[in-house]
Amino acid sequence: MIDAFHVLFDWHLLMLLVLGTGLGIVIGAIPGLTATMLIALTLPLTFHMEPVAAITLLIGEYVGGISGGLITAILLRMPGTPASIVTTFDGYPMARSGRAERAIALGIMASVAGGLVSWMFLAGMSPALARFALQFGPWEYFTLVLMALVMLAALTQGSLVKGLLAAVLGMAFALPGIDNSVGRARLTFDTDFLLSGFGLLPVLIGAFAISQILRDAAAPPLKKIEVPKGRLPIHMRDLRTHGPNMLRSSLIGTWVGLLPGIGGNIAALVSYTTSKQLSRDPAKFGTGHEPGIVAGETANNAAIGGALIPLITMGIPGSVTEAILIGALTIHQLQPGPLLFQNSPEIAYGIIAAYFLANIVMLVLMWGAVRWIAQLVRIPKAGLLGVILMFCVLGSYAANSSFNDVWVMIGFGLVGLGLEAVRVPLGPFVIGFVLSPIAEEQLRASLMLSDGDWLALFDRPWAILFLILSLATLAWPPMAARLSARRRQI
Amino acid sequence: MSKIAMPGVSRRVFTIGAGVALAGGVLSGGQAMAQTFPSRPIKICVPFKPGGRTDLVARMLAEKIKENDWLPQPIAIVNADGGAGANAVNMMKRDPADGHTILHWQHQLLIAIAMELGNFSLDQFKSIGYTGGGSPIWAVHEDSPYQTLDELIAYLKDNPRGLVEAVGIGTIPHFVGAMLAQSAGFETRYVTANSGSDRLRLILGGNADIALFAASEYLSQGENLRPLVYFGTERLAQMPDVPTATELGYDVTWANPNWWLAPADTPDEHVAAIGAALEKAIADPEIVQYFEENTLEAYWVNGEDSMADARQTLEQLKSIAATIG
Repeated sequence: MIDAFHVLFDWHLLMLLVLGTGLGIVIGAIPGLTATMLIALTLPLTFHMEPVAAITLLIGEYVGGISGGLITAILLRMPGTPASIVTTFDGYPMARSGRAERAIALGIMASVAGGLVSWMFLAGMSPALARFALQFGPWEYFTLVLMALVMLAALTQGSLVKGLLAAVLGMAFALPGIDNSVGRARLTFDTDFLLSGFGLLPVLIGAFAISQILRDAAAPPLKKIEVPKGRLPIHMRDLRTHGPNMLRSSLIGTWVGLLPGIGGNIAALVSYTTSKQLSRDPAKFGTGHEPGIVAGETANNAAIGGALIPLITMGIPGSVTEAILIGALTIHQLQPGPLLFQNSPEIAYGIIAAYFLANIVMLVLMWGAVRWIAQLVRIPKAGLLGVILMFCVLGSYAANSSFNDVWVMIGFGLVGLGLEAVRVPLGPFVIGFVLSPIAEEQLRASLMLSDGDWLALFDRPWAILFLILSLATLAWPPMAARLSARRRQI
Repeated sequence: MSKIAMPGVSRRVFTIGAGVALAGGVLSGGQAMAQTFPSRPIKICVPFKPGGRTDLVARMLAEKIKENDWLPQPIAIVNADGGAGANAVNMMKRDPADGHTILHWQHQLLIAIAMELGNFSLDQFKSIGYTGGGSPIWAVHEDSPYQTLDELIAYLKDNPRGLVEAVGIGTIPHFVGAMLAQSAGFETRYVTANSGSDRLRLILGGNADIALFAASEYLSQGENLRPLVYFGTERLAQMPDVPTATELGYDVTWANPNWWLAPADTPDEHVAAIGAALEKAIADPEIVQYFEENTLEAYWVNGEDSMADARQTLEQLKSIAATIG
């Protein structure tokens, strides 16, 4: 392990790490461009590099890309990456009330905390954790996602009915495409266009960024967002105030990231809703409440470390980005898996060391640049929105090299605008869209496995636990309301 | 010498004649085609995200061709994932059918056609050729009681649908498994797993009994898996103890070639020019070594033969697709 750090203290590797992390932050901060895309695009450049150098660059891009997303999520209410969706909930209201710098500083602190805690699990407990997560079959996945979907109801601000409506609408848009459980097309109306369904990226950019651009373009900003100069508004006492939240969110993020196929956006969501439910004043969430930013940003970074665990110990990628990382290693004739530690320990420990250092580099870069980053809000809106719009179009197009996705993006921009106009929240809409395909696929896989027998669920203790937690989540708010009403009567 | 050969012909006429002859020779000769085609950079559409085998092989061969100037124009790989390949096919169709935009795919294309996805048929393509391919294995967990394929099949015959097979429905693992099941007369229970990593997760976690893996996936995994059968035509050098399905008496092979395709109207000379470059690239020692290290076989099958092979495989796949609900 120490050797791995020694290797990385080569100036050439450190430069690659700084370059990768910096690039990641910039790309991550631009709505429409994601860490996944950056890694896919730089992958060919690494063909001729040494494997350790290649992986250092790519890990830097990964960490930077997930972290950079918080900047535009807070300043412009456009998640720079899918993982920062929940950061918009509280970050933007904070920025609107003149606390943009504070929100960004909190986000950075939370990101680093999440990264470092998940790194400890990565470095210390990889094999054990990977083996534990492996037991999870379709039933566990289904009930886990169901739990997240139910938490959605808890997430909804204002009307529960509108929240559920938004979620159901999101789920409906997830239906067209190839039905993975039978391999046939459904709801595609015989078009190639709908054969791959609506892509996550164009839907997300459309619903958040495009609708926001349209809204901002239509109405002049009500209030100039103030950017305070001087010292960064973070103090030692913040560590005490937000420490428990950061620890809990790190654990949730690492854990969710550990599960193959579920990434940072779901980690952030689960952690956000958990924080809200455990909070003494849940009503403040979504109005510019600091713990909201901390919960989301801690968890989405922790998810990276979590996802690296099955990657290096078993060769199972935890997310799309990781699948590309595996591709990068494969080019160098290295296959992550149980033999990686034996056959190429310098790579396995290199990944672990690079992940640690990437978090530090990210902290330094973002901390150093935060004042300049926050100046973003001073750029004339028209110019800024134009540039972002261009990147949104580019990003939607580049994901699949398909112009159809650009139309999807524009279409969902209008959908987003319409939903907000009738005060239906966007969060549940996008989350329904993201989660329902996983829930459906896992439920159908479960039923295939048990030959249609629902009772098979009761042979799976973890699945039962998740189911009970879901029911409790549903039952808790009305119960709490009744309890407090009774208390008031007395 | 020319004076002797062509008495009475004025110098001027001769010069023109030689010029025409030379130009004619240039136009009809293969050498000259290289000058007129490709006249623009060549775009290779890969219907998958970057990083998979199809993408890597395309990039490596393209790099090798560039390195050696086997084609006088640069080559760019463009990934167009989605729509069961329809996105990449549509991308190819948008450009003129002159060989400057081609596809690199494998037999998942045939499955998309057999499953009637994607609105395309083999008639829309001209095959440039196969540049090698790789075959998969069927594996169980190393703690599994089944030591051989025969033991496994015997169990399944006594207990129909008694074991769980991890497959992506309508993908290669599903079809290869179904071919074996049809040939041997048994039935498994399916659980959805759309990628190699999902299948590995289900096997290692004890949530599925059988799964298909690329030979390279199995070899790099190294432990926890027990291979029962290899679907190549001959045993693979890296795993000499794993019998082929044919040896065990089941007429099932799957070679999943790296397949290069152009639109059906592409001029034959252009297809031949790309084919010639690919044939050289796949014979290059560095490429052959990479293929061998990754349990792929490096071979070249020309356009006509590869298309004939594909049509035959498609018929087989269609008969299986007809059995899917």
